[in-house]
Amino acid sequence: MQLSEEQVFALAPDESSKKSGRELANPAKWVSKGVNELALWGECQGSGSKPYQAQVDLVNIAFKCSCPSRKFPCKHGIGLLLLYARNKADFTNRDMPAWVAEWISKRSERQEKQATQKEKPVDEAAQAKRRQAREQKVSDGIEELLQWVKDIIRNGIISIPEKGSAWFGNMARRMVDAQAPGLAGMIRNLSEINFYRDGWQTEFMDQLLRLYLVTTGFKNNDTLPPLLQQDLRTWIGFTQNQEELKEQSGITDTWLVLGKQVTEDDNLTVERNWLYGVGSDQYALVLQFMVRGQGAQLAFTPGLFIQAELVFYPSVLPLRAIVKKQLNTEKVQQYKGFANWQQVAEAETSYSSTLPFRSERPFIIEQVRPVYYDQQWWLQDNNNALMGIKSGFKSIWKLLSLSGGEALNMAVVGKENVYEPFGVWYQQEYKIL
Amino acid sequence: MQTWDQIINTALLGTDKRPLAASDLPTELGEAAAVIQHHTTDKEEQFLQTAALVFNYRQCGVQPLKKEGVTIDKAAAEEKQYCSVLAMHTLKDILDSESNSLLQFWLQQCNEKSRIVTPDLVPLLLDIGVQQKKLQNAVVACCGKRGEWLSRFNNEWNFSTASTNEELWQTGSPEQRKMVLEQLRKDDAAAARGWVQQTWQQEDVNMKIELLLLLAINIGSADIEFLESLAKEKSKKVKDIAWWLLKQIPEAPLVQQYQQVLQRSVTVGKKGLQVQLPADIDEAIFKTGIEKLSNNKEYTDEEFIVMQLMQAAPPSFWETQLQSTPDVIIKAWQKDVTGKKLLPALVQAVVAFKDQRWATAFMQNSHVFYIDIIPLLPVKEQEHYSIKFIAQFADNIIEHAIKREDTWSIDLARAIFIHTAKSIYQYNRSFYSRYIHCIPVGIVTELYKCAPAEDHLKATWNNTSEYITKLINLKKQTIQSFND
Repeated sequence: MQLSEEQVFALAPDESSKKSGRELANPAKWVSKGVNELALWGECQGSGSKPYQAQVDLVNIAFKCSCPSRKFPCKHGIGLLLLYARNKADFTNRDMPAWVAEWISKRSERQEKQATQKEKPVDEAAQAKRRQAREQKVSDGIEELLQWVKDIIRNGIISIPEKGSAWFGNMARRMVDAQAPGLAGMIRNLSEINFYRDGWQTEFMDQLLRLYLVTTGFKNNDTLPPLLQQDLRTWIGFTQNQEELKEQSGITDTWLVLGKQVTEDDNLTVERNWLYGVGSDQYALVLQFMVRGQGAQLAFTPGLFIQAELVFYPSVLPLRAIVKKQLNTEKVQQYKGFANWQQVAEAETSYSSTLPFRSERPFIIEQVRPVYYDQQWWLQDNNNALMGIKSGFKSIWKLLSLSGGEALNMAVVGKENVYEPFGVWYQQEYKIL
Repeated sequence: MQTWDQIINTALLGTDKRPLAASDLPTELGEAAAVIQHHTTDKEEQFLQTAALVFNYRQCGVQPLKKEGVTIDKAAAEEKQYCSVLAMHTLKDILDSESNSLLQFWLQQCNEKSRIVTPDLVPLLLDIGVQQKKLQNAVVACCGKRGEWLSRFNNEWNFSTASTNEELWQTGSPEQRKMVLEQLRKDDAAAARGWVQQTWQQEDVNMKIELLLLLAINIGSADIEFLESLAKEKSKKVKDIAWWLLKQIPEAPLVQQYQQVLQRSVTVGKKGLQVQLPADIDEAIFKTGIEKLSNNKEYTDEEFIVMQLMQAAPPSFWETQLQSTPDVIIKAWQKDVTGKKLLPALVQAVVAFKDQRWATAFMQNSHVFYIDIIPLLPVKEQEHYSIKFIAQFADNIIEHAIKREDTWSIDLARAIFIHTAKSIYQYNRSFYSRYIHCIPVGIVTELYKCAPAEDHLKATWNNTSEYITKLINLKKQTIQSFND
């Protein structure tokens, strides 16, 4: 596994873990250490009499440590990976000690067990009744929501900035009651628009129309193709049974982790991992939800190549996926991006015509450079075509410095004519921005 | 897109006030719009469906902006080599440790070895330069051509655009100007004075004061003319500093005049040292910063005036005046009632004129420890006396030691740490972080020897030792990474 220092830090749950991990990336702290194709392990001398045993499953990227920390990975895991990233040659021991071998074999046993585990028989009649009751609730909620949307349109959106978040909050709560959490989220997004910013009207109308398309689409569900029905259900907030999904066959490919966006809301951390399949030329979004103190299932870090089987959620425009099986981490591989912005625009046209209320998507675009024009930063391709960089993009200086005025291959996420860069290939190495 | 603007206009005012007209839509959407009109009569429903149609028409039709002539200059190729991977790792660790002193040390090493940082860290270092003005020049040097290029896009980083010292003096920030002037004054005192004279009229009072203070470095007879010309300055503070500087130049007419007065005022009689001002004393000397009235009841007005004059007379004057050696004079004055009173003034003269011979004589013959004299001694002697007197004057000695730019000996570091380990609030972690450049790498194996006897202090010292060890390791790693 070839993790750069930057990638190791991207795995850290917070700043203090990065800091402590950095301090532990010191050979003197480690009583023993070793690596083979399955695992990386080490014993770190802490304040207690017994050293902490830290181990990393290199096939499925997972961590375990005997320390009492609730963080995941803990500082010992970060320190160990960092030490390995810096001094690979020092990891000469290739024989797994018993405590590592045991954990690794248990993990593979568990995975096999999970794969063979069959669900308990379900009471289909009760399930159908529940489903019907929920759909009724959702339909009732949608009627109310449509009325609310129409009221906004009748009275004009000019007074919307004065409404305050409580006004939106009431309707969002109503949607939660109606068991339509997806719609509740969309309403909350409406209230989070910055009404002091120029162009809020377009941002508001875009979101309101998406809400309208989803709700009216759902009302006319019966007339739509099955996959589009699935999309609508997902946007409304009907969940998809992940175990059922995992039973389907997916796409086995080498996936490059392009970027990771982490947001925190109360106690819930949401990780959005953007992936690109090198062989399938397919982009994917793998979401991971973590309640505070709970360990993550996946440990993706940008720039990492993972060989895995991904199953996509049913959609007319598949993007969201789950990892069915992670096979290995791979060395740097070739990738193919979009040659210019015109190609991206054509792809965007096709995506929007398929799913008008879709959200942003990732792209690898080749040979673009940041340029300043008309009081803002843009990405310019070799045909002098420009697409805007998302306003408030924090790493503009790092991007500019890496570019030095030269064009770079870049991973971005965005929609229409605004994109946010994730990372660039600088001297054959993927650099996180 | 004009159609979308129409949608927004209707949405803003509401369908009640501004219905959407069919003419607002492009012809391509005419057919779809007609279907909508046909299917529903509800105004809001009609608008929402039409708006959704236009929304998707807009997003499906997005094209990149085609604009010729939008360019960006390419950064010039670097002339220096990039740092090693180890050096970059060390830099990241140092940035994480938040020790500016270590960062300064790293930047110095990088600069001395003519290396530069990789582009990904350039913005971070330039940002640090904005905050830490003292590091600006070093940051500029270590950021290479990429830093120079990048700073053109961010006004806050404009400190990095000047490339030569002369340019920095002309266009740099006050901190940068002071830094290059200080360096030049050390290397070429006359050229530095020339710079100050050239821009003197354009400087404000505060800058004039700062620049004059820097002229104290390598002050000499060539500065007399310029300093005397400052007697016409409006600011009293500027004039006072000019006088203060003149009083440090043995050849200055002012100093000569003071010596003439001292020649007649201080004599050795039967009762020992006598102080009496001549009756015909030139009143002009009282316009050069000499006060007439004593501000200390232990000194008469006459003694007070003489002491002020003594501070501005080179110590060698007394060798001629009393026909004796420094050792004999110091010993004799220590036994004399008046001499004892005058000794502090003599010490100040030794400091002002940086007389190393007299400084050594004072340290060897005096019963009193004069901290101000320490910097005048050769390093070995400085350390010898610092260690000898540290038990009595620890804080003063440490205050002097931290002003040094070189590394302490292990013996001095040990002596200092034995004291600082006991004063944990006064000398906390930030003390060690700030002065890590003075701390020798070899002390790391001796830290346990500095532990205080008290148990509660011992525990704190253990933690502090760990912290110092971490800093020292980073320092060691820095040295190693630039030597490989």
